[in-house]
Amino acid sequence: MIPSLFRIFVIGRNTLIEAVRQKVLSVLLIFGLILVGSSVYVSTIATPGLDAAGLFDEQIKFVKDFGCGAIELFGFAIALLSTAQLIPQELHNRTVYTILAKPVRRAEFLLGKFFGVILLLALAVMLMTLAFAASLYWQETVGFNYVRDIYDQHMPANWQNNPQMAAQYHHDIQDIVNKVQDPQLIKAILLLFAKMVMTAGIALLISTFATSSIFTIITTFMIYLIGHMEGMAREVWLARGAETSIWQSGLTGLISLLIPDLNSFTIVDEILAGNHVPWAHTLNLLGYAEVYLVVLLAVSIIIFDFREI
Amino acid sequence: MGLTKRYPLAWKRKLLVALDHLDLQVRPGEVFGLLGPNGSGKSTTLKLLLGLAVPTDGEARVFGLPPDSLEARQRVGFLPENPYFYAFLNGDETLRFYGKLCGVTGSKLEKRIEELIDLVGLQNGRERPLRSYSKGMLQRIGLAQALIHDPDLLFLDEPTAGVDPLGSAQIRDLILRLKKMGKTVVFSSHLLEQVQEVADRVAIFSLGKKVLEGSLDSLLAESQNTQINVSGELTAEQQEKARALLGQEIRFSRPHLSLEQLYLRTVQGLPDPTPAQNSRRS
Repeated sequence: MIPSLFRIFVIGRNTLIEAVRQKVLSVLLIFGLILVGSSVYVSTIATPGLDAAGLFDEQIKFVKDFGCGAIELFGFAIALLSTAQLIPQELHNRTVYTILAKPVRRAEFLLGKFFGVILLLALAVMLMTLAFAASLYWQETVGFNYVRDIYDQHMPANWQNNPQMAAQYHHDIQDIVNKVQDPQLIKAILLLFAKMVMTAGIALLISTFATSSIFTIITTFMIYLIGHMEGMAREVWLARGAETSIWQSGLTGLISLLIPDLNSFTIVDEILAGNHVPWAHTLNLLGYAEVYLVVLLAVSIIIFDFREI
Repeated sequence: MGLTKRYPLAWKRKLLVALDHLDLQVRPGEVFGLLGPNGSGKSTTLKLLLGLAVPTDGEARVFGLPPDSLEARQRVGFLPENPYFYAFLNGDETLRFYGKLCGVTGSKLEKRIEELIDLVGLQNGRERPLRSYSKGMLQRIGLAQALIHDPDLLFLDEPTAGVDPLGSAQIRDLILRLKKMGKTVVFSSHLLEQVQEVADRVAIFSLGKKVLEGSLDSLLAESQNTQINVSGELTAEQQEKARALLGQEIRFSRPHLSLEQLYLRTVQGLPDPTPAQNSRRS
């Protein structure tokens, strides 16, 4: 068991090194970091004239939406592009022969390659989250100065000495702190990461039988789209109740089974809107992603085991 | 025994017979050459012996074990045809990666890397990424990775393909050194003269079938004739005396170097064109 895990780790580490030394993925990550960081700048353009207290709430929400959106977009791109080429590249370059001629099982090879992608995604999400945190911190500082300016300009002189006004000021500052340092954001990042890993899992499964990376990329993208629409389709069919035919029910059931319900992960939007999402619900979704991933990996291993290389 | 591999050609609804009922046994410590034109089944044989492909019929055994078992692979090294490896790794990193996959770690691995770099003569490639390697250097790092776990049996698929004559001769010498170290080597090649220089036994393949097998001595000896080598040139009178003495039909000719021997003698005889040596000479 331990030698097997060690081999998976060695292959995973090598896959990560390959991805890091590949300029395309590094450039993608740099763009992701720039985009996440630029949310601060874009937010000031989006809400000109900071003259009403409520507008600053909008700015914070904009930074959160923009930052998480950029993390999701670039995470998705990195997951899809890096996984889609994992197997075809190994087969094309025949490096797979040199590895499988060693005491390495095919399952270990596949899991090792996938582990490398997970490490890459974790690294990318971690760096983008740091950039996101930095932009939120910056926004917080801007918010403090903004509130201070409002009080200095619009309140009577020496407002600090007025206990009521001072309390109101501290309340406003605390309100910004609460919105910026929202612990719910951890849930949002975890859910986005789970979605990326599921996308990578789907791409891996397709690449075990696909003959080209393009096929894997297009098919995974289609599944990703259907996965977002699946929940809606199911609701529409269920709402029709008795009108639903056996075929329609069967098709919905089949799609639910084969394609992950990615629509459930849009709960991230609720988090970003400031609504409370309990940990239990987050863990449920993470558990769903984990079970789905295990199934994806198991099927991938079976297909790859039978593939002529 | 009876090793057969057929690939389905879906678009033609036919089966391609890549290897047809091969019976072959390689003895410990020998160098065995697989010969044959492209598509004759040499690479398929190696893939089946490595467990990289599953036979349609028949069975392959390596050290009495299924070839895809970890125990068999622990004792086998493989150099594929035209290997690419990971272009982003340098020579040392490549050997470290393959060594760890074989369970060789720590100081033992580092010591082994030193030995193999020396063996294949790649001191100048240790820190360079493989993307900057020449074809000959790639073949040599390929040999080193095949040997990283000190296997008893080596499979080399066209180890000299695309390599210049000097690099090719170095690989030939390496095979001979491996033989001296007691390793069993099975290799495929198109360079018949080189095969002749290193192989103990050969099998010739054609259209997926083994058509000939045996030791080089038995296959190449012309049993009707005897060859006598004489130093120096014989005069016409000496030739007549020899004929009269033996009472046999004797043909006299001057032996020729092969073009490869001439090339190697010329290139290897040249001084090393390094600036230090050049300046010493001038």
